[in-house]
This record gives sequence, C-alpha cells and structure tokens, in this order.
Amino acid sequence: MHTSPSLAVPVPDPAADGMPQTGKAREALRGLTASLPVMLGFVPFALVLGAQAAQKGLSVAELALMTGLNFAGGSEFAAVRLWTSPPHLLLIVGMTLLVNCRHILMGAALAPYMRHLKRRQALPALFLMCDETWALALADARARGATRLSMPYYLGVAGGLYASWVAFTALGAAIGPRIGDLEQFGFEMAFTAVFLVLLRGMWKGVRASRPWLVSLVVSAGAYLLLPGAWHVALGAVAGLVAAVLLEEGHA
Amino acid sequence: MLDLTTSLTTSLTTLLVIVLMATATYLTRIMGFLLLRNRTLSPRMLAVMENVPGCVLISVIAPAFVSDQPAKLLALAITVLAATRLSLLPTVFIGVAATGLLGRLMG
Repeated sequence: MHTSPSLAVPVPDPAADGMPQTGKAREALRGLTASLPVMLGFVPFALVLGAQAAQKGLSVAELALMTGLNFAGGSEFAAVRLWTSPPHLLLIVGMTLLVNCRHILMGAALAPYMRHLKRRQALPALFLMCDETWALALADARARGATRLSMPYYLGVAGGLYASWVAFTALGAAIGPRIGDLEQFGFEMAFTAVFLVLLRGMWKGVRASRPWLVSLVVSAGAYLLLPGAWHVALGAVAGLVAAVLLEEGHA
Repeated sequence: MLDLTTSLTTSLTTLLVIVLMATATYLTRIMGFLLLRNRTLSPRMLAVMENVPGCVLISVIAPAFVSDQPAKLLALAITVLAATRLSLLPTVFIGVAATGLLGRLMG
C-alpha cells in the first residue's frame, strides 16, 4: 500500500508499541540481567552513602527522598559531604549542577536513539538515566546496529539499578555506623571495572580514541589541581574539543 | 517551643534543598534530549557526538589513574588488563578482589 505523509494514519510502530508483550517482557528481563553486575558496584556505595548521611544527621526518610528523587550518586556523595544543619542551599544545588552537567552531553548522545518516542514517554524515562543505564542501553543499541533504543531493555536496567540504589542507601542510613570502612574490601574498583569494560566495547583503535586520551589527561589533571568536581565536566569537554579539532583536521 | 520551631525550619530547609537538588539533576537529564530531538546533525557533528560516551566515562574514572597509593595503581592495571579480555562480571570480581587483596598486602 502506498502511503504519503499527509494521509498517514497512526499506524502502530512495530519497534515501539507493536512489540508483543512477551517480547517486551523478555527485553526487560534482559535489561534487568545486564544490571546485576553493576548492582554489585551499587550496593556497597549505597550503604556507605547511607552511613555517611546518618552521621550528618539526615534521617532514613530524608535520605531515601534524596536518592529517590535525585538518583545521581556522585552528586549525593557531594551533597552529604557538604551537609550542615541547616544545609547550605546554594552550595549544594550548585555542586549538584556541576557534578551532573555531564548528563546534558549524555542526553544529547541518546537523543537520536529516542527520536521515535513521544515526549511523554521520553521525559519520564530520562528521569532514570544514570551513567551505567545510559552506557549499557547505548552500547546495546549500537551492538544490534539499531537506530532506536530498546525501551524495555533500558527500563529493565534502570529499574533494577534505581530500586537497589534507593533501597540500599536507606538501609545504609538505618544501620549507619555499624557498616565500618568498606574501602578495605576494594569495592570502589567495581565502578571503574564496569566503565573499563564499557570503554572496551566502544574501542575503535588508537587513532579513533585520541579524544579519550585528552579526556583522561585533562580530567586527571583537574582532579589533582582543582577542588570540587570540576574534573568530569572539564575532561569530557576537553575530549570533545579535541574530537572537533581532529575532525577539522581530516576535512 | 523555640527548639521545635528551629527543628521545623531545619527540616523544611532540608526538604527544599532535596527538591531543588533533584530538580537541577532532572533538568540536566532532559536538556540534551530536548535540545537535539528535532534537529538533524551534520555528519561531522555526528562524528563528534560519537566520542561523547567514551570521553564522559573516562573522565569519571580518571582519578583512579592518579591515585597516590601504589597498591591501587597496581590493582587498576590488573583491572584494565581484565577488562580488555573478559566480560563484565569477571572483570568486576577481579577488580574488587585485586584492590582488596593488594590493599591488605601493600597497604
């Protein structure tokens, strides 16, 4: 049948809505499974954050509200570190913006894969976008050679991580100081390990990865020289500037 | 009575800070999508955007590469090696175990 855009009736999109329920459930389960190794990294951090928050005088409910509404670990660690009674509003909100401005770039990279979604589908889904969910979903779409994100997969990953983050930060706040020093068990390497495997998946040779090297050097330098959380934003932007310059060099 | 007022103000401020913090974070999450959803990027811009994931991820973990503790640097080297040949779960196990053990032995 020949259809022109002006005559187009709303045909259900096979990849978006027409996917059978079992297919959706399978995709969501695949996402949930993919989130399990990452959870291993989430749980110890969540407990530590909870314990630190309890020491700063935040109640279990207040911390659960923070991790449930904000759901961005880096900024929550920063906020708890800077917490006073009463808290300093501008300092904490400003630091949150600084730590999380990488999300703007991440959302921009994800946008082409979400173009098929309605705004009322995309905006709630983006509430759950954290580093790991974003990277896993993007890597999954690229590995399948797809131009669209698998939304059930994305929500499977995100749902697993969200639930474990909120539950275990609250647990950490409840059991508080009894947790002790988790650093001695080496859990802080879990995130680095996850990110390194994701980077391996994106590797396209030394030449193509020169912007990464720029990001690494600038971020590490900023971490050593500057207070606060400037290193993520500066490193990411420096790498992209390098990418632009290298592209212009090719053209 | 004064104590009650003070603690009420404190918890209201706490609530306000948490809500504003969450709003700021949510805005960063939707901004990139809202700016780019209806735009077609030039091939050159697309090539640049290809680098976003790698540059963001490596900037987040960069501090591990300049740790002042030799045990952590050695553990990182082992984790990098594992990441180049193993899948996610074994790499995470090896990274955590190496960091924990080397921290004990060398720390």
